Amino acid sequence: MPNYNIDAKRNMTYDAIVIGSGMSGGWAAKELCEAGLKTLVLERGRIMDPAKDFPNMHKEAWDYELRGSLTPEDKKKYYKNIRTGFIGEGNKHLYANDEENPYTEVKPFLWVRAHQMGGRSQLWGRQSYRWSEIDFEANARDGHGVDWPIRYKDLAPWYTHVEKFAGISGEALGLPQLPDSHFLPPMELNCVEKDIKQRIESNFPGRHMIIGRVAHLTVPHNGRGQCQSRNKCSLGCPYNAFFNSTTVTMPAAEATGNLTIRPYSIAHSIIYDEEQGKATGVRLIDSETGEMMEYFARIIFCNASTLSTTRILMNSTSSRFPDGLGNDSGELGHNLMDHTYRIGAMGTFEGHEDKYYKGRRPNGIYIPRYWNINEQTKSDKFVRGFGFQGGASRPGWGRGANEDSFGADFKASLISDPGPWEFFITGFAECLPYHDNKVTLDTDNLDKWGQPTLAIDCDWKENELALNAQIEVDAVEMLDKAGLQNIVGFNNHHEPGFGIHEMGTARMGRDPKTSVLNATNQVHAAKNVFVTDGACMTSNSCVNPSLTYMALTARAADHAISELKKQNL
Amino acid sequence: MNRREALKRTAVLGGTAAVSTSLLGLLQGCQQQPRLGWSPTFLSTDHAQLVSALVDTVLPKTDTPGGLDVKADMFIDLVFDKTLDDAGKDQKIAEMDAFNADCNARYGSAFHELDLAQKTEYLQEQEANAPKFNGGVWGTAVGEQPPVGFYRSLKSLMVWAYFSSEEVGKDVTNYDPIPGPYQGCIPLADVGKVYSY
Repeated sequence: MPNYNIDAKRNMTYDAIVIGSGMSGGWAAKELCEAGLKTLVLERGRIMDPAKDFPNMHKEAWDYELRGSLTPEDKKKYYKNIRTGFIGEGNKHLYANDEENPYTEVKPFLWVRAHQMGGRSQLWGRQSYRWSEIDFEANARDGHGVDWPIRYKDLAPWYTHVEKFAGISGEALGLPQLPDSHFLPPMELNCVEKDIKQRIESNFPGRHMIIGRVAHLTVPHNGRGQCQSRNKCSLGCPYNAFFNSTTVTMPAAEATGNLTIRPYSIAHSIIYDEEQGKATGVRLIDSETGEMMEYFARIIFCNASTLSTTRILMNSTSSRFPDGLGNDSGELGHNLMDHTYRIGAMGTFEGHEDKYYKGRRPNGIYIPRYWNINEQTKSDKFVRGFGFQGGASRPGWGRGANEDSFGADFKASLISDPGPWEFFITGFAECLPYHDNKVTLDTDNLDKWGQPTLAIDCDWKENELALNAQIEVDAVEMLDKAGLQNIVGFNNHHEPGFGIHEMGTARMGRDPKTSVLNATNQVHAAKNVFVTDGACMTSNSCVNPSLTYMALTARAADHAISELKKQNL
Repeated sequence: MNRREALKRTAVLGGTAAVSTSLLGLLQGCQQQPRLGWSPTFLSTDHAQLVSALVDTVLPKTDTPGGLDVKADMFIDLVFDKTLDDAGKDQKIAEMDAFNADCNARYGSAFHELDLAQKTEYLQEQEANAPKFNGGVWGTAVGEQPPVGFYRSLKSLMVWAYFSSEEVGKDVTNYDPIPGPYQGCIPLADVGKVYSY
């Protein structure tokens, strides 16, 4: 493994402290370290050594005692995270222990957490899409929330910057609602997807069905290997073929010699110095000893993940900031968003029975947003829009339980016949920023370190429900026109958080009276504190957010470095 | 295979079983009571005999291994033991008792003591009556899932136990641990059978 310097006690003072080593924290660490800043990364959990902390990387189903199933003890330990449907025997150790990390659901809200180096970047879906000008203008245009202080042109070069390093595969199409990235070659659609694409695009002018744009290497890139279609990403990739913080950005930061990572460090609060009018460091709790410690730096990047970052800011009280650091506007904790999810349609496809595919493609199809992107596509039922993810495949032996038969022929058929082609699409809709959707510090319910937990009070409102209804109608209609059979529409009404795209609660804005952060992600009233994870988001588009967190982080880090040079921070 | 073909194959299976009934009944009558060749952890002997008989009926040995060859019944005992909580175990026991009680009421014997024709007849009724699993997207089922009942739930477990076994996964289905770059459209004949997972 890289030789991480974990002997942090030698020196309690750094140029920069980054709280969190996940998707955005890894980028902050890399950019700051590469600029020559001595950087301390505080990681709440353990360090992840690729050589020994991905023990299931090469396992097959039969190598697990229960071939993937969870025990009642597991189900108790991960009783919230388990709602995702993604946790099994092989990857459970990458999710946070829900019993030790409680939160209160004032209304149902799924908060998925990963408490080790790399955070959720080890678990993400790897779908990577740029936001468009339409997204950045949305709040100003329809009056919901506050205006973004930046536009697409501000972020475009930073998208390119992070894409060149991370490696994003996809096809350039020139769509205004889904700007092209700096792409590696796209993955392939299968034959049924190609047919359905053609039928959807000819029946619905303005709608496109494309291969998903993903942070997987389709060619070797920057010393990392090509994706081998094992689709075991979260278990660890022997080729380092998908982008994550653990094995890509953090090692790059480490290679500069400027990185120190301190594991088992729960950020408690940011220390604010009233005389200097800025933050001076971070107070942390060593999760193993319970000891409270202080570390100091000229700049602080908050990348603990959306709600954890906000919890830290709320916990950072002083006489200047009695309601939490940077909370002059009263907006800290408010305007929580997620994407609606698990609404769509599925069906079977007749044809291509003599065709199959090779590989477990860790990707699917994408149908970019087509509502409310111009005057012609304006809806009278809702503002904003949604995109679809999905894909075609054959069920193989997995169809066995539902077959009407059993016995010798049944078994022979499950071995020799992959079954009908099946296709599904599921929508991801934009959620408006509502002041009512919020988190608050819960001082009645403390965690095992005696710290206040979060109470989450968030639900979908009229616009989201109207988008969801349209998703199901459109999904069924597209599958019907594409010639699918046995079409089933579904609308599972999942609670917020289920999309694992929680955003907002410390939003960027133009006006300190209505926002927490400025155009370069600095706390308005404490400019050496930067928030560049999902907490900073002013609206939430309908596309997956990680690529935007990366670009915002790199841009903010560049600004921080430049301001430090000018002695402005 | 489309649904019509699936139904056709079921019909063929029923027909085959009907022809063989008398012969099999004769053979079975000559045999001793079936005995369990392994020691269950969670299942009682009666219940283990039921599970083994179901595994053997649904996934019999042919030119490819049967469910019993890959110890699917023993794996199911392990999964019940390790993954069900106390309430789940009680429910499972009640379901197996009810299944055998129903068999007894119908045929005067527990399921594992029936001849193949009776087993086939009984399971065909189960197939016809048990609701099916809803489709799923990324780990969660869509829509309201009606209870599928003991038989289909166990059938799902049997199929999984069989196809996730090392012997079947490596030697029977197409084992492709490192596929390389995804190829979206190749002749099925080049693969020849389903992938291991």
